Amino acid sequence: MTPERFETLAEAFGGDVARWPPAERDAAAELMTARPEWAQGVLALARGLDAALDAAPPPRADAALAGRILATAPRPRRRWTGWLVPAGMGAGLAAACAAGLLAGAQFSARPAGGESDAIVATIAGDDVAIAYALGEGA
Amino acid sequence: MSDPDEALLREVARGDSVAARALVARKLPRLLSLAGRMLGDPAEAEDVAQEAFLRVWKQAPRWRADGGARFDTWLHRVALNLCYDRLRRRRELATADPPERPDEGPAPDRGLEAQDVGRRVAAALQGLPDRQREAIVLCHYQELGNIEAAAVMGVSVEALEGLLGRGRRALRAALTDLREA
Repeated sequence: MTPERFETLAEAFGGDVARWPPAERDAAAELMTARPEWAQGVLALARGLDAALDAAPPPRADAALAGRILATAPRPRRRWTGWLVPAGMGAGLAAACAAGLLAGAQFSARPAGGESDAIVATIAGDDVAIAYALGEGA
Repeated sequence: MSDPDEALLREVARGDSVAARALVARKLPRLLSLAGRMLGDPAEAEDVAQEAFLRVWKQAPRWRADGGARFDTWLHRVALNLCYDRLRRRRELATADPPERPDEGPAPDRGLEAQDVGRRVAAALQGLPDRQREAIVLCHYQELGNIEAAAVMGVSVEALEGLLGRGRRALRAALTDLREA
């Protein structure tokens, strides 16, 4: 390595040879052995600027920043949507529920009494069952 | 060479909150350091970090190193692009309405204290041309090797060396009085 190259590397990468390009470190070490005083002078000048750069404090994170970032992170997929929706069962189930409610409403509009009222109560659920029981009691 | 972040990214993509926390803990300080030193404004640096992580979350399910860029290199590139967007906007605003430059020198009746030195250096860094500042930030503060820094900047290693050398010489000239203090 030429002295000029050594100076160029110190100017670019600073006074710590361990931070120089790996391919040039051995040659740099040879030059440092051959001309120790000169090499140390070059490195000391570069280290002065390194130290000045290190005096500029790193920006500090707002404590809430990590929380704000994590709030946008991906969420795990909900497992039930994985098997229910692709099979088309979600829509089928919703349709069945709607049909049940409709049937319940139609049956509950009929006059109370007799065996059919017991069926209405069974099909349409608790609300109708309560209304049926109250009607029977009246 | 395997990417040290790849396994963590796979877990993040599955929605693992522990992995997301680990990735934020690993990368957020580096992102803030990069953006803070490129922009010289902590609030803007935080905005850049948040925007960069939005891109990380989007990219995580698709991330495949496959011998291409390492995740850390990609993340640096993303953050730098966001910084350059802001620097461009700043220049446009400055052209329309030039701000008054604060005096960064020390008060005449007192010497330079550590805080003053830090501020002076930060101001000198902001005074450099963007590409020189970028080279110094990547190599000195982010501790990237010359090949990786050149890859992030999209330049040859020789061009990187030139930018570093010119930037450091300009800094030394701007901070001459610190050596005398």
